[in-house]
Amino acid sequence: MATSTLSRWFHGNVGMVTSVIAAIAIIAIFQIINPFFLSPQGRVTLVYAMSYFLIVACGLTFVIMIGSFDFSVVSMLKLGAIICALYIDDLGLMVIPLALLACTAMGFINGLLFAKFKVPSFLATLGMSMVIEGIALYLSRGFLHIISNRAFRSIAVTFIAGLPSIFYWALAIWGVCIFIALATPFGRQIYAIGGNPTAASLCGINVVKKRIYVFMLSGFLSGLAGILYMAQFGGGSIEMGADMSIPLFASVIAGGTSLAGGTGGPQRTILGVILITWTQAGMSMNAIGHDIQLVVFALIAIGMSILTANRKTMSIVK
Amino acid sequence: MRTDIPIVELKGVNKTFGGVVQALSDVSIGIYKNEVVGVVGENGAGKSTLMKILAGVYPPDQGEWYYTGTKTTFPKNPKEAAKRGVGIVYQEKGVIPALKVYQYLFLGHEDKYVHNTKLDIEQMKTFAKKTLNEFHIDCDIETFMYDLPPSTQKMIEIAKAILSLRLEQGDNDAVSVIILDEPTAPLNLEERQELFNYILKMKKTTSFVLVSHIMHEVLEFTDRIYVLRDGELVDHYNLSEEEVTEKDLFKAIVGKDFIEDTAAHETIDYTNEEIVLSAKDLTRNGSYYDISFDLHKGEGIGFFGPAGSGKSEIIKTIAGILNYDKGSLIVGEKKADTRELPHVRLIKGIGYFCGETEKQLFFNWTVRKNISIVNIEKILQKRFPVLNYNTEKKMAEKIVDTFKIKTPSIETDCQSLSGGNKQKISVGKWFERRPDILLLEDPTIGIDVGARKDIFEALLELKRKGVSIILVSDDPKEYTTLCNKIITLKGGRIQKVLGNQEFREVIAT
Amino acid sequence: MNGAQNGKQAIPPAWTRIFKTHPSIPLLIVLIAGFSIIFPKRFLTPMNLSSILGQFVTIILFALGPSMVATIGSLDLSYVGIWMLGGMLVWHLTPSLGIFAILIYPLLGFLTGLMVGTIQVKAKVPSFILTLSLLAAYSGLTSILSGGYPRMVRGYEFLTGELIPRVPTALFWTIPLIVIAIYLMRGTKIGTYLYAIGSNEEGARLAGINVNRYKILTFVMSGLFTGIGSIIQFQHLGGSVPLSLNMNTMTMPLVAIVFGGTLLTGGSGGPDRTILGTLAFVVLYRGLYISLINPEILQLIVGLLLVLSIVVASRGLRGVSIT
Repeated sequence: MATSTLSRWFHGNVGMVTSVIAAIAIIAIFQIINPFFLSPQGRVTLVYAMSYFLIVACGLTFVIMIGSFDFSVVSMLKLGAIICALYIDDLGLMVIPLALLACTAMGFINGLLFAKFKVPSFLATLGMSMVIEGIALYLSRGFLHIISNRAFRSIAVTFIAGLPSIFYWALAIWGVCIFIALATPFGRQIYAIGGNPTAASLCGINVVKKRIYVFMLSGFLSGLAGILYMAQFGGGSIEMGADMSIPLFASVIAGGTSLAGGTGGPQRTILGVILITWTQAGMSMNAIGHDIQLVVFALIAIGMSILTANRKTMSIVK
Repeated sequence: MRTDIPIVELKGVNKTFGGVVQALSDVSIGIYKNEVVGVVGENGAGKSTLMKILAGVYPPDQGEWYYTGTKTTFPKNPKEAAKRGVGIVYQEKGVIPALKVYQYLFLGHEDKYVHNTKLDIEQMKTFAKKTLNEFHIDCDIETFMYDLPPSTQKMIEIAKAILSLRLEQGDNDAVSVIILDEPTAPLNLEERQELFNYILKMKKTTSFVLVSHIMHEVLEFTDRIYVLRDGELVDHYNLSEEEVTEKDLFKAIVGKDFIEDTAAHETIDYTNEEIVLSAKDLTRNGSYYDISFDLHKGEGIGFFGPAGSGKSEIIKTIAGILNYDKGSLIVGEKKADTRELPHVRLIKGIGYFCGETEKQLFFNWTVRKNISIVNIEKILQKRFPVLNYNTEKKMAEKIVDTFKIKTPSIETDCQSLSGGNKQKISVGKWFERRPDILLLEDPTIGIDVGARKDIFEALLELKRKGVSIILVSDDPKEYTTLCNKIITLKGGRIQKVLGNQEFREVIAT
Repeated sequence: MNGAQNGKQAIPPAWTRIFKTHPSIPLLIVLIAGFSIIFPKRFLTPMNLSSILGQFVTIILFALGPSMVATIGSLDLSYVGIWMLGGMLVWHLTPSLGIFAILIYPLLGFLTGLMVGTIQVKAKVPSFILTLSLLAAYSGLTSILSGGYPRMVRGYEFLTGELIPRVPTALFWTIPLIVIAIYLMRGTKIGTYLYAIGSNEEGARLAGINVNRYKILTFVMSGLFTGIGSIIQFQHLGGSVPLSLNMNTMTMPLVAIVFGGTLLTGGSGGPDRTILGTLAFVVLYRGLYISLINPEILQLIVGLLLVLSIVVASRGLRGVSIT
């Protein structure tokens, strides 16, 4: 009896199990190759790599949970970051709510296009990502902008117990996301919509409204990630976050949130984020080129998609 | 009795699935020239299995197949079935909307019109026109399928099936048997008439097998009827030789267990209670017309009629799944706008429970979550809008206990439970929710007798607590158990309004 | 059916029908007329028209393959990757294979299509995720193979040597490709089957079509067209490939496909519609460029256009479940 439940669980979670094994293997391998990996300084690098990434990945997770896709998360991250860089001298820390507002508004438009106007989510967000990039490009004029505001930077780079504050912020925000997903009615409704939208509507859930909220949440978290990013790096141009999309997507899928929707969640995403960002950091530490990393992550994305794909023969996948 | 040789004859067909479920046992049928043969039976009686065997989807375990008197093997795929004279028109998903008529007609057989790789479109068009003429279908071959009305689409589907048969056999005069699987399901009343006129015309050259649960259609348009029950052929009627009524047919389909309900039913007069729902001249073009009724608190109303009478559309309209075109619907004090979505109707107090669990349950979820999702407000913490797992757990355990749901625990995935238990979970969640009005569509379809009894008792308990019920189903026993008032429908219009006692008398005859 | 010119000169009853099924024709006419009137000096110059044709060639060479994939409701985003990686491979193999190195392009396209089609069909991975990831992988591989420097490939200049002044020679190579693509979709049973699969996959299966085989075939065709097109594209764009992915290069063919009226849910459109869509898009783009709008705003507008055209196109999607 026990073994059959165990084997059923295993089959349902092949992706996650693979990720756990892969994560442990990766950490071991990198540590052996270069003990710097888990040294006190190495840990700081790892943490810097994963913190802002975790936040934006949580945003993407929520969207994938309802069975949709958000191409524009990286663009929204950039927008949030650039707004901070551009206006911090005039507005001080008030740039933070401004950036959040702007990105949430973008998320709202995404949600509207999808839920109300029935535009397939990946197309709506693809188009919007170009629009948002365009806005960010226009605002920044393509230049590199540096932040000298100490207070702002201290959000990310104040060291506590050997690790930068951005790490604690990331953990806290991640904790809030888990809370939303698992302990609030809204979270339950997200799972319901992803699992069976027809039944969700019959159970009293306003599917259109909640979908819009999810995209707004994605925008908010992307903007938040952008703010933290800017605080961490202290500067950036429109070239920020290049090639982040594929690793982001790979980390959500690798964590165990299925593209079909209705399962997974931010609590799973941390596993994928660790797998991806620590691999990235490890490769960089060993001077493995950015391009090789890109190939590796693309292959991981494809591999994880295959492993976690919806194999039910009734569903039609295009 | 016919003396000529049947086109297609099957003898002694047996089919078992997984070594356990005997879908068909010793079934023999024959289809002669120029006739329409009806095949009727409940869900699970073996109709679709038999049709699939005929259509070449899979072979039986045992049996013999005769084509125009000659014994041959069972077909292993649709092409072989076509070579043996059988084509099938499926209930849905048969039409390809984006294709033009002449493209659709020859889909799958283009090789006959291809020179090197080039399609001879002119030849296809000419032949298409000729075909439509022959089959008396009046439409332009250049039209896209999506631009045609559903009845025309069905007619073209039938033409295509016959064409495929001829092309497969390489014979323009090939005798064909076309299976029609619930052909009128997507059609409205006018379109159904059109389709049947067409079939009667086609009878001169083609024979049809009509699989349907719309009894009056079967009685009106077929020459002979086979009745399947629990995998066996229990009855055969020859309409040219005997008088058959809907009641006879019904009894044959359902078997003897009929009307013996024992659920105590009060004969309380509900007309003094407040009105919770009121419909006035509710109309949906093509489905139902001028439906007016009042539902009182604690009352049970049933809409009774054969499939196609509009009862399903009416209840779905009240649920918010379909729109109405004219009239008004008032819930409590508020008007229910036609474009409201189901979740708004639920907020207004109308819950919808149907026997199709795929629409009601979340299969990747546990029992506990399926019960609580409709009752979210009840499982929140006292002061914050946060879930209280303890309350949720207790609620789920209570329901599992009350309804004797057979599950290892409340943490089990719904998917692994049996159909009856899934249904119980669905009923249980609504029981807990206790909406002012609960709509029931086929609430006990496909469930064993024991589970049915439990579900009936739960629904009656709800009624006693003041929940009003509207029922749509194919089982008279459900009406006699749950409804105080039964509204009979025919052709989308109200025929009669009967009280529970009157209804029982009518049914017993 | 090959351009606005045909539509205008056809017999009256036929041309009203063409207008209805090809909405980009009136759009095109309006755009050309509009820009000609507003900016006569800058728009109607030979140089501008030459640029329009040049950009048309670039986009259509990338869009032909994916436009066929769009008819089955899938999305093929790998085209830029094939062009980039193929180019780098050509550079590497020219020393050993000489002029035949260019054949790497169709080979890569074919293999890519085969891979994508097989994974999509057997493993049920959504095509846009698959091809997007593949695009990233190819982009990375290109960068790795380049050793960090953009590489020029010489020896193929004859492909685009000037024949008629002001008219990009690549256009003459492109036209046969376009004709073949349209023939495949409208003149053979392959096209009929693809529309059927895109419109109702289940129904197509019931009609006896080997859906899996044709889906894989579609991706193979797309890869092949992109591969062959890349031979022209490669030289048309100067004989070298960039090291990193340009978002514009990737999205413009998509916009052109949607502009042409191909519904990305499948069952309609294809290469013939995409020609018009590309033409309309290029005219619009050049017109905006001529009006000397800030280049940053131009990208923004392209994004907005994509969104708008999808919203308009999606209005026909009643009853289809959108994820």
